[in-house]
Amino acid sequence: MKVVPSRSSEWVRPVTSQKPASAIIEIDRVSQVFQTSARKDHLALSNISLTVDEGAFVSILGPSGCGKSTLLYIVGGFVSPTSGVAKIKGQAITGPGPDRGPVFQEFALFPWKTVLGNVMYGPRQQGVRASEAEAQSRSLIEMVGLKGYENFYPKELSGGMKQRVALARTLAYHPEVLLMDEPFGALDAHTRTRLQNDLLNIWERDRKTVLFVTHSVDEAVFLSDKVVMMSKSPGRIRQVIDIDLPRPRRRNELLLDPRYQKYVVDIERMFDESDEVGASS
Amino acid sequence: MMSPAAVLKRAAPVLACIGLLAIWQAAALLLKNDSFPTAIEAIRAIPDILGDKEALINILASLRRMAMGFGIAVLFSIPLGLLMGRSRAVAAFFNPLLMVIYPVPKAALMPIIMLWLGVGDITKTLVIFLGVSLPVIYHSFEGAKAVEEKMLWSGAAMGLSSLQRLVRIVLPAALPEILTGCRTGLVLALITMITSEMIARQSGAGNILFNALDMGQYDTVFAMIIIVGAMGICLDAIFERIRARLVRWSEPQFDMPLSFS
Repeated sequence: MKVVPSRSSEWVRPVTSQKPASAIIEIDRVSQVFQTSARKDHLALSNISLTVDEGAFVSILGPSGCGKSTLLYIVGGFVSPTSGVAKIKGQAITGPGPDRGPVFQEFALFPWKTVLGNVMYGPRQQGVRASEAEAQSRSLIEMVGLKGYENFYPKELSGGMKQRVALARTLAYHPEVLLMDEPFGALDAHTRTRLQNDLLNIWERDRKTVLFVTHSVDEAVFLSDKVVMMSKSPGRIRQVIDIDLPRPRRRNELLLDPRYQKYVVDIERMFDESDEVGASS
Repeated sequence: MMSPAAVLKRAAPVLACIGLLAIWQAAALLLKNDSFPTAIEAIRAIPDILGDKEALINILASLRRMAMGFGIAVLFSIPLGLLMGRSRAVAAFFNPLLMVIYPVPKAALMPIIMLWLGVGDITKTLVIFLGVSLPVIYHSFEGAKAVEEKMLWSGAAMGLSSLQRLVRIVLPAALPEILTGCRTGLVLALITMITSEMIARQSGAGNILFNALDMGQYDTVFAMIIIVGAMGICLDAIFERIRARLVRWSEPQFDMPLSFS
């Protein structure tokens, strides 16, 4: 397992030369420039290199505006990087594809479809027979805890339920990588905790590769194998931290575990230091 | 058994009509003017019109032109509006054109269109088409523009091509807004239909109305106004029913219905 941080722009090393056999996502010297006004460019991402191993749960953690979501969108193929290349299984990413399933903070459900219709949408698009897609979707809906809500429309559901549907909808077409963009950011603390627990339970069953964007340190440490810390203006990778905590993880055990507490405190301290450096410079 | 409140809610449109007719009746009786028949006289003239084969053919011809103009306009305007909403280039091309056409009263174009295309069905259908197109384009455009980017991304990740996304995500997502435009368009179709027949007086409901006016048959004039008005109310109510069915998924649960359905 090798996640390569990039801390300086002079640092040029072909990621491929050191590529471990199991890398599924490779991000190689990716930069993203947004034009904010006619004359001003904003460097959202600066020279990011990162590899993600198959089956790993990797969080990208950073303050808002550090470009962490943009990085996720580049992997999703929704945004093209200004320079550099992102690869999935060795192939350069040129657009979205069913091998990478996004889950957005805004849920982005199809409001004209019922819960079942939303979950079935992907498999149907992939050519799965209606009866088969329905059976699979019903069991997924049950897995995310929404049995009995199959015929509800999104407007009839709470935020937490909508995000459960969105997760089931993405899982339904069997992406190899889950791209989660602050998925629990719009939820209240209680719902958020419950969804984190449920996501972990689901993930620990089949161990799909997950790239998870968040600004919550607790969330990142609780869920991840690896935390990629980013700093902003321009967005860079600050540090990559392996989270060496046993699985399956249970929240009530973990919160009392000094190793968990140390990770959280250390990461928070590192962010505080960078804030002070930013303020004095 | 319906509650008194529910009965009142159902009866409200009927009561409103009766109230309006009563005011009309009272006003006509008070004013005693030859060109202002009472409501009862006007209503009595309705069976004469509807029983007359030629009048009926005229009214049906009007409705046919209206349906044609409305139908073609909707089929043309929805795709155009959606494309404009999703493509800056398409919007940049059509926007100035539409901005110029928008404020021009479509009936004002009729003399020219008559000159070129005659006073027949084509001219009238074209005017109806022009009248209906703009609100439908506008609402389709607004609806398509408001579609959440992430929803399209979700579709793209599932493997939908850009055309599939337009038809299977943008269209349904914008449908509530599109149908609002169509409802406005339907009423405009009726208005431009009557107006076109008043200008190119050859056949149709508008022609009956103006012929009666020329001959001083004021009860027929008012009867025609009632008939045309009733047609508008019925068409709107039917459309509203269809609309409510199609976009049930988007409606707030408790909403004040603004129609006779």
